[in-house]
Amino acid sequence: MSAIDMSKPQSEVPYGTLDLLILKTLEAMGPLHGYAISRRIEQVSGDSLQLSQGSVHPALIRLEQEGWIRTDWGISETNRKVKFYSLTRAGKKQLLVEVANWEKATALVAHFLESMS
Amino acid sequence: MTVRRAVERLLALVRRRRLDRELENEILAHLELAERDAMARGLSPEEARRAARRRFGGIDQMKEEHRDQRSFRWIETLLRDLRYGLAALRRAPGFTAIVVSVLALGIGANVAMFSVVDAALLKPLPFPQPDRIVRLWEAPQPGVLNATSAPDFLDWKRLANTVFEALSAEQSISVALTDKDGATRLSGKAVTADYFQVFSTRAQLGRTFAPEEDQPGAAPMIVLSHAAWQSDFGGDPDILHRHPILDGVPHQVIGVLPPGAFDRDETRFWKPLVFTPDQQVRDIHWLTVYGRLRGGVTAAQAGERMQAIHAALTETRSIEDRKATIVVAPLARLLVGAGLQRSIYVAFGAVALVLLIACANTVNLLLAKAASRGRELAVRAALGASRGRLIAQLLTESMVLCLLGGVAGIALAALLIRVATPIWADSLPFTADVKLDLRVLSFAGVVALGVALLAGTFPALRASFSNVAESLNRSVRGSSGAHARLRRAIVIGEVALSLVLVCGALLLFRSLLKLQQLDTGVRIENVITMSVDLPPGAYPTPQKAALFYRAMAQRLQAAPGVSQVGLSTVLPLQWISNGEGILVPGIPEQVHVRFKRVDPGYFRALGIPVLAGRGITGQDNDGTPRVMVINQALAARLAEVARMKDPVGKVVRVSTPGYLETRVFIPEVEIVGVIRSERVSSPGDSDPPVVYVPLAQAPSPQVKLLIRTGAEMAVAMPAIREAVREIDPNLPLGDVETMQQVRDRTLSGASRPAGLIGAFAAIAVLLAGIGLYGVLSHTVTLQRREIGIRMALGAGATEVLSHVLRNALSMVAVGLGLGLLATFALTRVMKNLLFEVSPLDPVALTVACVSIALIGLLAGFLPARRAASLDPVETLREEG
Repeated sequence: MSAIDMSKPQSEVPYGTLDLLILKTLEAMGPLHGYAISRRIEQVSGDSLQLSQGSVHPALIRLEQEGWIRTDWGISETNRKVKFYSLTRAGKKQLLVEVANWEKATALVAHFLESMS
Repeated sequence: MTVRRAVERLLALVRRRRLDRELENEILAHLELAERDAMARGLSPEEARRAARRRFGGIDQMKEEHRDQRSFRWIETLLRDLRYGLAALRRAPGFTAIVVSVLALGIGANVAMFSVVDAALLKPLPFPQPDRIVRLWEAPQPGVLNATSAPDFLDWKRLANTVFEALSAEQSISVALTDKDGATRLSGKAVTADYFQVFSTRAQLGRTFAPEEDQPGAAPMIVLSHAAWQSDFGGDPDILHRHPILDGVPHQVIGVLPPGAFDRDETRFWKPLVFTPDQQVRDIHWLTVYGRLRGGVTAAQAGERMQAIHAALTETRSIEDRKATIVVAPLARLLVGAGLQRSIYVAFGAVALVLLIACANTVNLLLAKAASRGRELAVRAALGASRGRLIAQLLTESMVLCLLGGVAGIALAALLIRVATPIWADSLPFTADVKLDLRVLSFAGVVALGVALLAGTFPALRASFSNVAESLNRSVRGSSGAHARLRRAIVIGEVALSLVLVCGALLLFRSLLKLQQLDTGVRIENVITMSVDLPPGAYPTPQKAALFYRAMAQRLQAAPGVSQVGLSTVLPLQWISNGEGILVPGIPEQVHVRFKRVDPGYFRALGIPVLAGRGITGQDNDGTPRVMVINQALAARLAEVARMKDPVGKVVRVSTPGYLETRVFIPEVEIVGVIRSERVSSPGDSDPPVVYVPLAQAPSPQVKLLIRTGAEMAVAMPAIREAVREIDPNLPLGDVETMQQVRDRTLSGASRPAGLIGAFAAIAVLLAGIGLYGVLSHTVTLQRREIGIRMALGAGATEVLSHVLRNALSMVAVGLGLGLLATFALTRVMKNLLFEVSPLDPVALTVACVSIALIGLLAGFLPARRAASLDPVETLREEG
């Protein structure tokens, strides 16, 4: 991921991928707060992803407004009242759509690269 | 974007505060957790905090992104700018008050004027399918409007029902309504039964006329207007069972109309128009005909059909009858005459100019404000606010100002409409309901927005284009630069526009003055007039009427405070609608004349000189040979068409209407005198030929009383009423007014907007003066240092004074030059409104230029004096 447009620091991950990562994380781990989600994404993707942890928050409000995730109040490990996010039924469906889209796109690109080489 | 998300984003606008607070909390929690983890990895608290921040990324960027995602940021920004703008306006209450009141004046005047234009000219008539209502008349020549005879009307109605849904004839009448308190006069209309179908108006109470009710033998009945029900009958809920006495005959009230257009007309009631046998004559034209077109039929198609009908009907008649055209014209276009339309448009043009000047002033004030805020804006720009953001913010501020101005303007317009409605109601058609409705309010909104864009864009662009470094560096001084040039240009424009307005107003005033001095051929000082309508029941014969008139004139003559009395069927200075013809022996065609019946006192009471022969005397009555007096115009006409050099003593035949029946006599009449023409129409029209027939030889049931009183007209009124009551206690006197009022109505019609435009011109000059003062005083403030240096170098106070004044006068001079050019171009549209005054009248132009130059000098003098009184040492030290 070297060609990152610096004027848009929020798209450090390929456009639209962050939604997929968050939805997938919530599906796998159950309800999590914002920090935990960003940590989890970092851990799984290792050093290959240049993600500012903060950028999950704008993505989270968007997903919540779309109705794909739900928030509940909980207590963090530092004893603070924080939002815990979990996947809704619509979110589960959306995850399937996003995964299908992703697979379609990568298959297309893979096919393209193969046929050009 | 899904609908759900769009709704969520809109809701987020409202929850902005809570969402911000929650986000703040989320960030804190996130950082805490990150720090805890980092410390768990063995970092010191300080290092852990830094690491957590680093991993988190830019907090402010993230917050912006969060706002972008959760909501429509431009709306959030707009709301913030609005709040900021309001706060800024609150900090400068003086500035805000001035701008808002300037705008309120401009917008208010325009909104009020638009409500008139809308009601009188734009809005459809307040009846269902108004474009289907037409008026029909016979035009013997193009432009001449002839009423319709009863048989013609009945033929039209019978033959033209393929194009008309309803066709109705109307005649204006006036009756005496008597009750236990005495008698009052009531204006009404006699109409054929389908009159209300033409206007598609149903009764609110009861019903309107049934088809057979305009046939002979129908019981006497009336329909009341809502206003008449309310005022003349006290809103009596039992009105449908009452039988008011009209002209001595009880009439059943069968219906009351809903409130609305008909209430603004002088008509209070309608009764069925029943044609008597002697009215069924083709050569008496007396009816006004209205029709409702069938759906899909145009006025032009109806006109063609009517022309065909007319051709068929007149096949056997005279050539004169056959060549007439039948005109079918939409009612909407007939209600507002060309003169009134022109007056309305000129007044509207004047208020538009006032608005333009108000805009210019606002721009000027905003520019001055922007100049003094240059530093604040520069700081904001330096802190990273983009030019777009600064422009948006300044525009929002001017938008807030204009909206405030708009709201104040609407309030002002409401006030203006309230105050002015009684004044202009008489000149507007009855269908025009002038009020602040949704249409007028939307107009106000559009004007306020337009003004905001016009007035806000310039200052916003200018302010944001100025160099940041330059603005921050306070040592930049002087009045030069694009900024100052723009403000000067605006002031010049204001001066030019106000010159146009002042010239227009002065031209109209001069025209009014000329009209005041116009010799109308009659003396009207201290003359009161009122109308008398004899009820046919009490005065069935012309002899009875003649006796009554004679007795009344004698009795009035003796009343205290009365010096002279005259009677006439038509007021002086008023158009004589009664047209007749005279037949001169030896010439085949009749001479068309206006016809007036007067008593012996008429010429004397009005000071109309008899030029040849004699006037009308008390001996000219029923028992003596018929005589008449003609006016100069008719004498000239007779000399032209009949080579009649000296008309006195000649005998001609004159068509003379009967007393109550509509039959016309054509008796032989001797011309006994010639009088000087009296004016009967607006200036510019030439005097028509008129015959004056003794009232005693051809009485009419309706006459006007003309009474010359002593100095105090009001004092004589009770005596006059008492005198009439003594002769007939049941006879009401109506339409009491002074001849001066009649004169004003007839003569000043076209120049009537003078007062209105004069007021607008005064406002315009005031605004231009304020603008000039603002610019000069700002220039002086900016030039303090320069002036200080000049004075330190030996310039005297007078020199400084003249320097500033020269500056002012140069602007005024350029403005006047441009204004004169605009005046030459624009006052031409006023030509028809002016009487004996050229649109380029040198007196008006000179007075306008001089007065504006004086105001310019005054506006320049105050800042100039301030400049001259500066203490050079003070100024220079202060600037240090």
